[in-house]
Amino acid sequence: MSSNAITATLARLINANNNITEAEASNSPKNDLSTTFPLMAIGDALDMGHADDGTPLIDPRLFDSPEFARNPYPYYRIMRDHYPVYHDKLHNCYYISRYADITDCYFDDQGFNTIPKGSSSGVLGNTQLELSGVEHRRRRNLYGQHLVGKSLANRLPSIERLAEQMISAWDEKTNTDFIEDNNGVRTIELGRAFANEFPISVVCQVLGFPDEARTDFYYWYNSMMSGLGGSAGHQQGLEARQHLEDYIEGLVEERRTTPGFLYDNDGQQLGKDIITKLCESKIDNDYLSTEEITSNIALVVGGGGETTRGAIMNIWYLLLQHEDQLAEVIKDDSLWDAVFHETLRHSTPIGGQPRHNSFDITLHGIDIPAGSLINMVDFSANHDDRVFKDPETFNIFRDDLYYGKLLRSGYAKDGRSSHMAFGVGPHLCPGAWISHQEAAIGSRLLSKQMKNPRLNRQRMRKDIDGKNLAPLGLASAREVWIDYELE
Amino acid sequence: MSTVKGEPPTVGKNGVQIKRKVSLGGQGYRTYEIYQRQRVGESTAKLNPGQLTNAEFINDPYPALSLLRDNYPCYRDWRANAFWISRYDDVTSIFVDDANFESRSKCWFYGVENYGRDLGQQLTVLNAQAQAYQSHVPQIMQDIINRAMPSGNINLATEFAAHLPIELLARSLQLPVQDYAFFARTYWQLQQGYQWEPQAQNNGLMAMKTLTEYFRPLLSQRLKNPSNDLISAIASVELEDGPATAEDLVITLLESDHETLHGGLANMWYLLLNHPEQLQLLHATPRLIKQAWFESLRHSPAVLAAKRFSRHEVERFGQLLPEGAMMICSAAAANRDPEIFTDAELFLVGRKDLCQREPRGMYRADGLPAGITLGLGKPTKYPAIPEDRPISLYALTRNAVVEVSSMILEQLTNLRLTNTADPSLRSLRLGDMRTCWDLPAEFDN
Repeated sequence: MSSNAITATLARLINANNNITEAEASNSPKNDLSTTFPLMAIGDALDMGHADDGTPLIDPRLFDSPEFARNPYPYYRIMRDHYPVYHDKLHNCYYISRYADITDCYFDDQGFNTIPKGSSSGVLGNTQLELSGVEHRRRRNLYGQHLVGKSLANRLPSIERLAEQMISAWDEKTNTDFIEDNNGVRTIELGRAFANEFPISVVCQVLGFPDEARTDFYYWYNSMMSGLGGSAGHQQGLEARQHLEDYIEGLVEERRTTPGFLYDNDGQQLGKDIITKLCESKIDNDYLSTEEITSNIALVVGGGGETTRGAIMNIWYLLLQHEDQLAEVIKDDSLWDAVFHETLRHSTPIGGQPRHNSFDITLHGIDIPAGSLINMVDFSANHDDRVFKDPETFNIFRDDLYYGKLLRSGYAKDGRSSHMAFGVGPHLCPGAWISHQEAAIGSRLLSKQMKNPRLNRQRMRKDIDGKNLAPLGLASAREVWIDYELE
Repeated sequence: MSTVKGEPPTVGKNGVQIKRKVSLGGQGYRTYEIYQRQRVGESTAKLNPGQLTNAEFINDPYPALSLLRDNYPCYRDWRANAFWISRYDDVTSIFVDDANFESRSKCWFYGVENYGRDLGQQLTVLNAQAQAYQSHVPQIMQDIINRAMPSGNINLATEFAAHLPIELLARSLQLPVQDYAFFARTYWQLQQGYQWEPQAQNNGLMAMKTLTEYFRPLLSQRLKNPSNDLISAIASVELEDGPATAEDLVITLLESDHETLHGGLANMWYLLLNHPEQLQLLHATPRLIKQAWFESLRHSPAVLAAKRFSRHEVERFGQLLPEGAMMICSAAAANRDPEIFTDAELFLVGRKDLCQREPRGMYRADGLPAGITLGLGKPTKYPAIPEDRPISLYALTRNAVVEVSSMILEQLTNLRLTNTADPSLRSLRLGDMRTCWDLPAEFDN
């Protein structure tokens, strides 16, 4: 009788699992996760069960689901509150989600290095992204020095000129699929009218690319960035990188003998373009190879496009939903810096950075073997209510966010902290300062052009209820439709 | 604040931990000097990582594994943060390479490395295990047959393959009969919980505690009044860091394997019933039962893959493997490597290109390749040392399979699938063993 009980018990346990698996398997692979993780109201987390002590459980398949991509913040809150170090055994990695922990890890570039190799270098080539210490610094400085300080200040007039040219060209593009005029009201799709192209134009200018290269630029940066990390677009990424390399080869040979220069609005030389500077740079007393120069350019091409585009799109998407704050910004241009920083805190285009620990460590009681993949979740750090009050609210007047000049050391004084959108420490994004200027200058000029701007809600992508606007989630706004009155 | 084991944290301004002075040691190459650029044509476009986790893969992993083996022998799976190894010689080369690769215990995956000690390799425990196999398996099997005999029906998956290892364990531990159902449920939960699924992990941790409290009085009782069983054997173990505890007993059970016996039996009989001509060979030549076991382990291993972790940065298979890299060593792919086995997709009892004696991949007793079988322990390089070494778990399992399968052949006349049966091999969840969970059969009674 009791032997029979073994069979009966096992049969029940097997059937319980069998039924679940068959239900999931009956759907297409794509739909599996949609069924398991149905879309929730924004801000509400799906109940994935509880441990016996009441702790909410997190099913790691969530991270691959549409629900998480659309509505990540309630899940990050669970991680911060209950799993400051979450061991995801399905994806063989750890997530660190609290602001203070991430800050510590970013500054500790011996304890947390940036390998594995291959996540970006497969497509981009060897850049400083996957290096640490002195090797990281010397390569970062090759071009990073041209994107800050006086070099950057010198470029600002030409950046402003580019933005003005693009905006003034709208009058010639009416009744296209992204600009329409009706009864004194103009409707634009901000991406196609401005934000997609503006950062690319800036990067082309800074690098010293000829104007005719801009068409290919879309192809290079879209394909390379979507081909990182062994993603489905990897093959296209490699092809784009090869195409870029073929193009640059001739350019580099030319600049090695004939330097290229940047000019201000009055036609005065500001200095050499970055490709020329790279051609003149030496490491270990030897000039960089074309391969190395291409890799550095590939990184600037990739890093300088999508992130700034996302920042501009998110700025307007959020600001237009907060009309009172928009009104204040239009009255006071000095607030654009605050808009930029609060947007990046609230909805950053880059969600985090991976690290590998150099030593066996213990963090919050969790033992992490050396060489583990640890994802620093900047998205979560920026919404950590240990640092930012009411973090899900977009508020350019918040008193806990640092709005000053970006610092590699970060900022944490007098109750204010810097956001984590560019990281902090040795690997802080070298394009952070120029990205800030592009987004702030571009948005200020847009605000001057657009009288009484408001979202064209009818054309905006909707959430699952078909009424509310689609949330940003882990992505930047793809389209922002704006109506404004013509003078 | 993180701490490096054995070293106090260095705290900088704003509570930031910075710049520890450490010796990175070694004079070898530096990572950044390894050329990493990939060229067009080097992408892994024929397969995306989602194909290694989706429902199709859970139902039948072989098409995706074949793609890996043919095209990407060391596949970088960015989604799972792992490298898939799929060719026979590559998989076996990792299993024997202790210098570069390590395995991690189920306790590690549970996150409870210090809960208890695994005493499974203690000589007294091994001897008790061997004795339990030899004395209990025939009786358990006869009981299974006797229960089925009146009806002429038997579900070979649930009433036989799943049942036998659990009752064998319960009898080995000399548990009270009325506790068998409790033990079956709790032990199952314990074994199910160490992988990625959080609810199963929670249930597994609860089972760990429940079993510990259940075994605590039994252990002290058997310490005072030892019997001829596994608990008494464990209770008698004296180590430098203290006597055996109930926690040690539970961890020893956790780290042991029941899946190869369970899954192997189910898969073997699934394959035999679906290949009546092969089953007929066994009727004609019963010594082929052993070959059928080897061939089913090769053709359809229940445990599809084993994980290993690189101990340090190392170049293998044309790739730079970083320290801590997880290697998914696919026994399923390796066992159907066409470079090793002719007509590898076919189930052929008595095939001539399969090792006839030691199907563990890394130890080829007769010079022929063997199907890679996981979970049966690693063969020693020195099989004759120590001389009193008990029979290996591999041999115990093989003997048990031959014994119970002989009883089935002899006593269940004209065994066949029931008319309505539609059996298949599948995993219940991603990463679980792949076996037949429902195998209804009938015989002439």
